[in-house]
Amino acid sequence: MPVYFLHVRNHTGFARDDEGAEFPDLEAARKQAVEGIRSILSDEMKQGMLDFRGRIEIATEDDELVDAVPFRAAFEIHMEDDRGA
Amino acid sequence: MIEKHLMKLRARDELSDAEERAIIAAVSEYRDYPTDRTFIRAGEELEHSTLLLEGMMCRYKDLSDGQRQITELHVPGDFADMHSFTLKHLDHNVMTLTPCRAAIVPHERLRTITEQFPHLTRIYWFGTNLDAAIHREWEVSLGRRTALAKVAHLFCELYVRLGIVGLTEGTSYELKLTQTDLAESLGLTSVHVNRTLRELREQGLVEFRGSRVEISDLPRLERVAEFSPDYLYLEKRPR
Repeated sequence: MPVYFLHVRNHTGFARDDEGAEFPDLEAARKQAVEGIRSILSDEMKQGMLDFRGRIEIATEDDELVDAVPFRAAFEIHMEDDRGA
Repeated sequence: MIEKHLMKLRARDELSDAEERAIIAAVSEYRDYPTDRTFIRAGEELEHSTLLLEGMMCRYKDLSDGQRQITELHVPGDFADMHSFTLKHLDHNVMTLTPCRAAIVPHERLRTITEQFPHLTRIYWFGTNLDAAIHREWEVSLGRRTALAKVAHLFCELYVRLGIVGLTEGTSYELKLTQTDLAESLGLTSVHVNRTLRELREQGLVEFRGSRVEISDLPRLERVAEFSPDYLYLEKRPR
């Protein structure tokens, strides 16, 4: 199984994943990235902050960037329109 | 062989020579397990309890979607399942997180201890009460603490628990856990743990790298975690 590293890049900086993990395929790594984003942002939301600036970068063992999941892509977002609802 | 277990008990009470001999005599054999070995499954009938001598183990439960919750971590000197002596089968699994060496203590021999050594029996009762206190503190972490405080609190807890059995050096200790192990203990994801570790490092509180935890500022780490060792009942007194 391939090993992927999920680095977090957001407004506070870059958190390199030095450990990596085995995934059946890239899609499984993307799924893990989405869960990671939801976990990080839900913790921030409980503290009163919602900041979508950031992404998770998926890299191979050779440090080749193969994909990136923007924070926004982890959510289905519904907003009231400008006139209010 | 079971020196760490005796250290853990002696931290909370005096043990007589006869009591120490009784504990040593209760071990029927030693077993070695590789990493990630589930050696107790929920529901299976158990006739012995497992005393961890080297390595780390955990109690855990899995959900059908593959999510895992580790409900307690065990360090050398801990019984992973003293409670199986009275429960006879467990509601959770027990697995190794590193290569482990364990002592097997048949329930029959524990029964003999309860019959012949009332003080030792109370000490083991204290042990299961201590496990319950750790579970309560984890409930607070899982339910209420922020990710930063959760990780900080776990590092503070392990610092105390490993210190009791002589496995700390200054304010650092070996911790052969993965970010996934930490995530499964704290109700986070490994990505979130990674991000949180960076935050703890940048705040100058603690570093976790290469299987080693280095606490840079213990008083501040304890403040961030709202950690008090009271729930680990460190007083040495007659039980």
